[in-house]
Amino acid sequence: MFGLPPEATGMGYDTSMLQLVGYLFGGLVSVIAGAIVLGLLTLPVFFAVLWVADKTAAALANATGWFPLKVVVIMFRGLRRSMLRTSLTYLAIFVLTLVLCLIYAVLYLIAAVTTEKEANFKAIVTHKTTIPSQMPPGYYERFRTACLEELPPGMRPVNGDKDIMSWAFFLGTTDKVNPRKDTLAFLFALEPDKVLTMMDGLDELTGEEKDLLDQACKRMTANPRSIVMSSSRMKGMNVQVGQTIKMASLNYPNLTFEFDIIGTLPEGKYEGIGFMNKEYLLKQIDSYERDRIANPKGEKHPMAEKCVNLIWVKLPTREAFERLSAIVNDGKFGTVPIKLETASSGIGSWLTAYKDIFKGIKYLLVPAMIGIMSLVVANALSISVRERRTEMAVLKVLGFQPRHVLLLVLGEALLVGMLGGGMSALLAWGMLGNFKFQIAFLGGFFVPVNALIYGPALGMAVSFAGSLFPALSAKDVKVAEVFAKVA
Amino acid sequence: MSEPIVRVRDLHKSFTRGTEAIHVLRDLTLDVGTAEFLALMGPSGSGKTTLLNLIAGLDTPTGGTITVGDSVISSMSESELARWRTRHVGFVFQFYYLLPVLTAYENVELPLLLLPLTKEQRRKQVETALDLVGLADRMDHRPGQLSGGQQQRVGIARAMVTDPVLIVADEPTGDLDTKSADEILRLMEILRSQLGKTIIMVTHDPKAAARAQRVLHLEKGQLVRDTMTGIGFNAAVV
Repeated sequence: MFGLPPEATGMGYDTSMLQLVGYLFGGLVSVIAGAIVLGLLTLPVFFAVLWVADKTAAALANATGWFPLKVVVIMFRGLRRSMLRTSLTYLAIFVLTLVLCLIYAVLYLIAAVTTEKEANFKAIVTHKTTIPSQMPPGYYERFRTACLEELPPGMRPVNGDKDIMSWAFFLGTTDKVNPRKDTLAFLFALEPDKVLTMMDGLDELTGEEKDLLDQACKRMTANPRSIVMSSSRMKGMNVQVGQTIKMASLNYPNLTFEFDIIGTLPEGKYEGIGFMNKEYLLKQIDSYERDRIANPKGEKHPMAEKCVNLIWVKLPTREAFERLSAIVNDGKFGTVPIKLETASSGIGSWLTAYKDIFKGIKYLLVPAMIGIMSLVVANALSISVRERRTEMAVLKVLGFQPRHVLLLVLGEALLVGMLGGGMSALLAWGMLGNFKFQIAFLGGFFVPVNALIYGPALGMAVSFAGSLFPALSAKDVKVAEVFAKVA
Repeated sequence: MSEPIVRVRDLHKSFTRGTEAIHVLRDLTLDVGTAEFLALMGPSGSGKTTLLNLIAGLDTPTGGTITVGDSVISSMSESELARWRTRHVGFVFQFYYLLPVLTAYENVELPLLLLPLTKEQRRKQVETALDLVGLADRMDHRPGQLSGGQQQRVGIARAMVTDPVLIVADEPTGDLDTKSADEILRLMEILRSQLGKTIIMVTHDPKAAARAQRVLHLEKGQLVRDTMTGIGFNAAVV
C-alpha cells in the first residue's frame, strides 16, 4: 500500500504520509535497538567505573572517616547487590540519554540555522513559486548589479563580488545505461574562488585543511573540469583523487562531462557531495547548441534558462536586506518571479513541511521517552526497595533517621543516573564528533559539548523521578511491622 | 532485684484490623533491673515481640508509660526514638540482619557512624567488640563468608559496639544449631556479668530461657508468670 497514489489504494488520502511515519517509526526503533546494543557493550565499562568509584570512595571514607562518604560507600555497595537490576536501570538511562542526545543534536542545529542574525547575515534568492528553484543565469548578473551598484554604498556587501555566489545543482552518473547509487554524484556548480568565504562551515576552516581546500579551489579556477568531493562519496563510487571520470548528467539531459578529481572536501563538511566549477556547466550548456549529433536543430539547451538554483549574498545589516528586498520585489527587476529571504528564514521555509514532525518529536516523543524510562527505573528500584525493606528497617533500628534511608535509596539511583547519563552523553558526543552526518545543506550534525552536562543531569533527573516514590516508601518503613511480618 | 533500669507501667497496645480492635498487650506492668538477663516466653501471638519492640523504642504504645533509665520513651517522636536507640539500645535478631554488601567490620561500625566519634575511636570500639565475640580475624569477611553462628556473633558485636545500657534479642538462637546457640548464650551471659548490660531476650526455647536469670511468661497480652531461674543473683518477683 505504501507509495501508491491515493486513487490506487481507494483510501482517499495520501499514503505517503503513512510511508513517512513508517520510516520514522522504523528509524526510531533502529536507533533504540542500536542504543541498547551500545548500552550492553558499555556495561563492563560501567561496572569498572563503578568499582573504581567505590574503591576511591572507600579509601577516602577510611582516610577521613567522614559520615557522608561512608553513606556513599554503602550506596555503591548497594548497587553491586543485584547486577541484573543495576544493569537494567543503567541500560534504561543509557538508551534514553543517547536517543535524546541524537534528537538534541538535530533540534540544536535546526535552531541554530533558523535563528536570525542581526548583522553580517546571509540572504538567499530563489524562484518565488517553483520547487526546486530554477532561475535564468541572467538573473545572477542582474542581482549582482543590484547588490554592487543599486544599493547605497554603506549597505553593499562588504567584500564586494566575493560576498555573492550562485549554486546550480548537478546530478550525474558514470553509467548512463544503468545508473545505480555507486555511479551517482551530486555536485554544487559554483564559483571556486568564493568557496572559502561563502560556504557555511568552510569559512571556519583553519590550518592545513584551509590551505588544502584553498589550493584545490585555485586549481578548479585554473582548470574548470576539476572537482573536489567528499571522501565518503568517493568511497561510495570507488574513485580516488587523481582519477578522471566521465559523467552523463541526469538533470541536464544530453550533456556529458569529464571531471578531474583533484581533491577531497574536509571531513564532516558537505558529506556525500562535491563541488564543480560553474563555468564548466555553462560551457557544456552553450556547446549543446552547436552539437549537431545530439541537437540536429541547433536549439538552446532546455535548461539554459533554468541553470541557476540559488543565489547567496552576505549583507552587512538588516536595513541593507530590506532595501535589497524592495529592489528584488519591484516589478521592474525582471519577468521571472523571485524572492529574497534571510538564509535562516529560507531554511525555515524549507523546514516548514517537517514542522509538525519536529513538534511531535519535541513535545510528544521526548516526554514519552522520559516517562517510559522513568517507569522502568521506578520499577527496578521498587523491586529493590521491596526486597530490602527488612534491611531498611534494620538501619532504622540502628538509629538511622528516615532521611538517611531516603538518601540511601535516592543516592543509589542518582549514582546510576549520573554514570549512565554521563557515559551515554560522552559516547554520543564522541560518536558524532568522529562520524559526522548531514542532511541536505544544513552542515554536519554534532552533539554540543554542553550535552556532557545535560546528559548526567538528565540521567539524574530521570533516576530521581523514578526513585522518588520507592525512596519515600523506604523512608516510611515501619520497623515493628516489618519485623512482625518476618517473625 | 537491682535498681530497675526499665520501668513499664499500665502498658497497652492495640491494633485495628478493619473495624476490629486487636488488643495485643493489656495493662502490663513490669520492672527490669540493671544488669539483669530476662527471658520473655509465651505462645505465638502472646505479645512478647510487641513488648520487646516497645521497650526497645521500635514502636509506640497505645497507653501506659515506658521509662528506660531517665528517658520516658513512650512519649518520644520517631526521630527522637531513633537518636535514643543509637546510644541506649543494642539489637540482636533471629536472622542476624547484617548488610550483605558490607564486611563484618563495616557492619559493626554502622551504628557508630551516627555518633560524634573520630575515625580512631570508631576503629578501637569496633575492634574491641569483634575481639570480644572472637571474630577479630574475620573482620574483613562479608556475611556470606561466615557461618550462621559467626554472623550472629557479628550481630552481637554490632549490638554492643555503642556500649548501650540495654540489649534486646528476638529469638537470637532460633536459627542456630545447638553448639552455636550455646556460644551465643554464653556471650550474652558475659555481656551481663562482665559488662553489666541489661538483656531482654524473646525465646521459644526453654533451654535458652533457662540461661536467663528471670523468665516472664505472657499469654494473650498479659503477664501470667514471673520465674527466677536462680542464676546469677537472688531476685524478687515484681
